[in-house]
Amino acid sequence: MSCHRIVSISHFDIAIIKRMSTEPNQTSLHTHSQRLMNCSEEELSQELLREGVGPEIFAEIVRRYQRSIYYHCRNLLVSHDDADDAVQNAFIKIWQNASQFKGESLLRTWIYRIATNESINLIRKRKPTIDFDEAQPEMAEMITEDLYLSGDEIALKLQKAMCFLPFKQKLVFTLRYFEDLPYADIALLTSTSEGALKASYHHAVKKLEIYLNVLR
Amino acid sequence: MDLENEKIGPAYKAPDSYFKESESRLMQRLGIDMSQLSGSTVSEAKVAVPVAQPVSVPLDTTGVQKRARKQDPITSKSVGINKDLDELGNVEIAPLTFTTNENPEWVNFGAIPEVESALETPLDQQIKKVSYGDLLNQPSAENPVAETPLVASPIAENVVVNGHGVEIPVVDTTPITVEVLTNGTETPVAPVEITASIEIESTIESTTELVETASELVTSQPVVELTDVPVVTEPVVIHAVPESVGLDELESYITVNQPAPTPAKLDVAPAAVAQESAAPKMVEEKPISLEAPATAFAPIAGRQKETATPGWLGVAAALAAIVAAYFIWTAIQPPKLDQEEVVLQQDEATVPETPLDEPAQTDTIPDGLQLVEPLIMEAMPKYKEPNVYTIIDAAEMPEKTKRALQDLEDHGLATFDMEDELFEELDLESL
Repeated sequence: MSCHRIVSISHFDIAIIKRMSTEPNQTSLHTHSQRLMNCSEEELSQELLREGVGPEIFAEIVRRYQRSIYYHCRNLLVSHDDADDAVQNAFIKIWQNASQFKGESLLRTWIYRIATNESINLIRKRKPTIDFDEAQPEMAEMITEDLYLSGDEIALKLQKAMCFLPFKQKLVFTLRYFEDLPYADIALLTSTSEGALKASYHHAVKKLEIYLNVLR
Repeated sequence: MDLENEKIGPAYKAPDSYFKESESRLMQRLGIDMSQLSGSTVSEAKVAVPVAQPVSVPLDTTGVQKRARKQDPITSKSVGINKDLDELGNVEIAPLTFTTNENPEWVNFGAIPEVESALETPLDQQIKKVSYGDLLNQPSAENPVAETPLVASPIAENVVVNGHGVEIPVVDTTPITVEVLTNGTETPVAPVEITASIEIESTIESTTELVETASELVTSQPVVELTDVPVVTEPVVIHAVPESVGLDELESYITVNQPAPTPAKLDVAPAAVAQESAAPKMVEEKPISLEAPATAFAPIAGRQKETATPGWLGVAAALAAIVAAYFIWTAIQPPKLDQEEVVLQQDEATVPETPLDEPAQTDTIPDGLQLVEPLIMEAMPKYKEPNVYTIIDAAEMPEKTKRALQDLEDHGLATFDMEDELFEELDLESL
C-alpha cells in the first residue's frame, strides 16, 4: 500500500480510499491488522512514519487510544457530549494531519496534544471570553447530571474539586494523576518545563486536598 | 486526604457499546469501510442479530392508565373522556357551502385551481351557490341546518276551555299565566296563575285536561264570569341560519327577530284572579336534550363573553392623575432664594466649636472595646499577601542565565510556572 496524505476528505478521496482498501486481498489485510495489533507503541509510530496513515493503522490508533482520549477529554470538559465531540474531532485531525507527525515524541503524546487542543477549542467555542487562569466552578454542577458516571462518591468529589482549579493546573493534574504520563511527556505535550509542571501539579494537589476536606 | 499517596479512581465509566458506536461513527465520517478491517474492534465484535421469535407473554395492564383523557381547547384543562357523552358530540360535517353577501354570480369560483382539488369533477361544479336570502326563504333538503329550528321557539297549541269558549294558548317550557278578569261588580277573588310545562310529544288530551282542571278551579269561585275574548296566539317562527354564521351573530339575530313571549291575556276586569299552585306538580318537566346543536362549528371566539372593564383600571387612572398633578405642582413652584441658603450657612457658623485644648475624639469605639481590639487583632491570623510571580522572559535571557535556571530547576532548587503561551494553538509540527 502506498503512502498517501489526505488533507481534506472529499467524495473523490473517499472513493480512492475505498478502492485502495478493497484492492488487496483479504488475507494480507488481516495479517497486517493482526501484526499492528501486536506491535508496541514505538513500532506503531514507525509504521505510521514509514507507511503513512492507512485504514488499518488508523483503526489501530483508534482502538488503542480512544478510551484514554475520551476520559482525558471528559476530565477536562466534564460533559459527555463535549468529550464525545472532542474525541471525534481529534481523531479526524489525526487522520488528516498524520503526515505531520515527526516521531520526535511518542505517538501517545502527539495524540494527547491534539485532543487537548480540541478540548480547548471546544471550551473557547462554548465560552469565547473564558480565562484559562481562572476556575470554572459552574461546571461542577453538571457532573452529577451527566452520563456514564462510575458511581464512586470520592471520585465524583474529586471531579467537582477539579472544577475549582484553573484550567492549566487541571490539565497538568489530569495528565499526571489519571493518565500517569511522565513529566517529560507532559512537558513535551504542553511545551512547558518539567519544573513548572511539577510546581503546577503540586499546587493543584494541595488545592484539591483542601477542597476535598471541605467537601467532606 | 493525601492525594499523592491515595489513588482515587476515575469518576467516569463509559460502556464498551459506546466506544464501539463511537468508533463506527468515526469510521463512517471518514468513509473507511470497517468490513475490510478485521483488526478493528467493530469487526471483531460479533453483532448479535436479533431473531424474531413469537413470545407469548400475558400483557400486564396494572398501572396503565385505563381512562383516556383529553384537553379542553378553551380552558386547556385535562378532562376525562366520557364515551357516552362524546358520542353525542359526533357531528358529521355538512358539505362545504359558501355564504357571501355578494351576488353568487359575481363570485369567480372558476379561479380556484383544479390542481388543489384533486377531484375528478371541477370545483366550481361541486360548489353549490347558496345565498343568505335563499337559506332564509327556501330551506332546501340538502341543508339540514335550515330545516331544523335552531331556537327553541315557543310552540303554541290552541286549547278550548270547556264551557267558556276561551282559547288559551298553552306554551311548552314557558309559564302560562291565566289572568281572569271579572266584572267590576263581582266579588274579587285571588289571582290564578297556572304554570304548565308540557312535553312537545305529549298529547293534546293531557294538556286539555290540565287546562280543564285550571278552569274548574277558576269557575269554582262563586262570582267569576268569563267572557268570550279573542286570544292572540303567536305563530311558530323558524329561524333559519346558515352554518357559517357565528354564535354572536346568531344570538343577535335571535334577539332582534324573536318577539318576547307574552302571556295570553283574557280581556276581563282585573278584580279577581285565582292562584293555583298544585297544577305544576302534575306536569312532567321537559327532559334536557343532549343532541348536538346544528351550529356545532360556530367559531370558538364567538362563545367567549366579553368581560366588563376591571375596577382597578379606574383606581390606577386616579393614582396616575394624582402623581401627574404632583409633578406639575412641583414644576411650577418658584425656585429657592439664595438668601435662604446664606441664612442657613450663617446659622451653621454660629454653632459653638469645641475648645481647642480638649483633644478631639477621633474613634467612635467605646473605651472598653478599644482595650479588647488589639487582643482580637492579635488573635486573628495574619493577612498574607498573595504570591507574586515575576514573569521571566526566557527568550531575551542570556544563554548562561538560561542554563543556570535550568540547573536550579533540575535540582529542585527552583520552580518556574508555566508559560502563558501554553494555550495558544499548538503547532502540530513541533513534535
